[in-house]
Amino acid sequence: MSIMSLAQPSWQSYLRAILAIARKDLLHFLRYPLNAIFQVLHPLIWITPVYFLGQTFVQGQQAATGFAAYVGTADYMSFILIGTVLSHYVATVFWGIGFSLKTEMDQGVLESNWMTPNPRLLMLGARTIAAFVITTITDAVFLVIAAWLFGFHASGDVVAAVLTVLPTILALYGFGFAFAAIVLLMRDANTMVDITQFMVSQLSGTQYPVQVLPWWLLPLALALPLTYGFDAVRAFLLGTTTLLPLAWELVILVAFMIVMITLGAWIFARVERICRQRGTLSMH
Amino acid sequence: MQTLVQRSFASELRAILAVANKEWTIFRRYPTWIAAFLFWPVMFPLAAIMTARALGGPSGAGFGAFAQLAGTPDYVAYIALGNTVYMWMNITLWGVGLTLRNEQMRGTLESNWLCPVWRISMVVGQSLQHLATSLVFLAITFVEFWLVFGVQIVRGNVGLVLLVLALLVPCIYGIGIIFGSLVLRFKEPNAMVFLVRGLVMIFCGVSYPLAVLPGWMQTVAQYIPLTYAIQGIRDIGLRGASLAELTPTLMPLAWFAALLPILGFVTFTVTERRARRTGALGQY
Repeated sequence: MSIMSLAQPSWQSYLRAILAIARKDLLHFLRYPLNAIFQVLHPLIWITPVYFLGQTFVQGQQAATGFAAYVGTADYMSFILIGTVLSHYVATVFWGIGFSLKTEMDQGVLESNWMTPNPRLLMLGARTIAAFVITTITDAVFLVIAAWLFGFHASGDVVAAVLTVLPTILALYGFGFAFAAIVLLMRDANTMVDITQFMVSQLSGTQYPVQVLPWWLLPLALALPLTYGFDAVRAFLLGTTTLLPLAWELVILVAFMIVMITLGAWIFARVERICRQRGTLSMH
Repeated sequence: MQTLVQRSFASELRAILAVANKEWTIFRRYPTWIAAFLFWPVMFPLAAIMTARALGGPSGAGFGAFAQLAGTPDYVAYIALGNTVYMWMNITLWGVGLTLRNEQMRGTLESNWLCPVWRISMVVGQSLQHLATSLVFLAITFVEFWLVFGVQIVRGNVGLVLLVLALLVPCIYGIGIIFGSLVLRFKEPNAMVFLVRGLVMIFCGVSYPLAVLPGWMQTVAQYIPLTYAIQGIRDIGLRGASLAELTPTLMPLAWFAALLPILGFVTFTVTERRARRTGALGQY
């Protein structure tokens, strides 16, 4: 039996759907102004204890020489600030895809939204657009304030660093799609997003070089593409020592991007079908 | 005003236990809490511990400065003790602090408050369930630190540790009730949690000695009870302090323990009256 549809999907209709979702998310964000302010303040609050922890180790010395022995730069605050900004984009993908799915389940609009003639992956991805724009703006403000308070000295190749970030983020989307599938099954996002995002960020070396991790965590860190993304971006901006030759790290990032997007989309399609068959989409 | 209700101490106690039981049922309904309880005790402090290890350097060049300021070379136990108290505070803010707000979001706050019991009994019931789960969280923390890092974080005189914890309980739950009342009033819980826990993280020396802070920040720290609790537990565990040596730390903590629950009750009563008068109880 062939399925007839009156919908005439095209790339323009998909684009309109993406923009509509992004606009709706932006309206939600602006509706709570205190949250908007805290999007800048929160990373500053998070980073300040790290600064003072660093000061504890450099008292009486000219620079963080211990830190420099690991990564090739004593400028630990610039190292951490780059990691912090990148980790915000990681959080955007995780919260944007996984948590927004749960929010729609709670609000009871997931089923009706999914009745629209748009691919589910497009709708999931679109939930991150507004968050990406907001993250970019707030992180720019955050970096200016952090540079003033703690110092930030990145003098390397910014274009190369941005080009390195792109495959890293796209690989994360694949991860996010697979993660959304788990949220559909477990019907609880908050704890899972919180734990997974924190673990991925920490194991990738947001605050420290991964060489300091205990032996039982190091293999996990080296298996994460993000580790090489963070490492390469810092190498371009700060001239730090890399874990692997830079060219290898870029090849790994591109390969991970292709594998993760394909795998993530496949897992999500399978799980979504199971949930529709079981009729559990509206449960929460 | 006449009422057929016959309130007594026993009826209030039954209400407290019924609310605690209801909260417990909701809590265990989402099994991801098991993952959270196993994950956070070690993974959260891991970020600061690994940062400290990186700052110390592979040869340990930076640890001398830390030992001089902190009074101990054992940076793992030092950070673990501070972070455990912080995590307790953090989960209380998310738990007790957001319970009223969650009821408001579910639309059950008004109907529950029509029951012929003191409103504060409902908050106490919620806090009771939360205290029980927090104690489990603390027990898991002690075990995990011993298994993962080989560090015993309950050291020294256990009786004194329990005394500090006993003084800390009314402080934390007093703050939790104040916080919950304010969330009910201002309706932006995330931003408020970030603010309060941020203040604790920065000013209370969760991961570093207070000596590294500028003078004005050390003055602010003196007005936060967690500063004394963290200092007391560290003094007992890392320096083997006696009761006499702890007295200057315990006295301010005892004052906070006496005043904060009263302040919590007053804040809650004022907020509750205002919400009823303005009809804002059901708004979100």
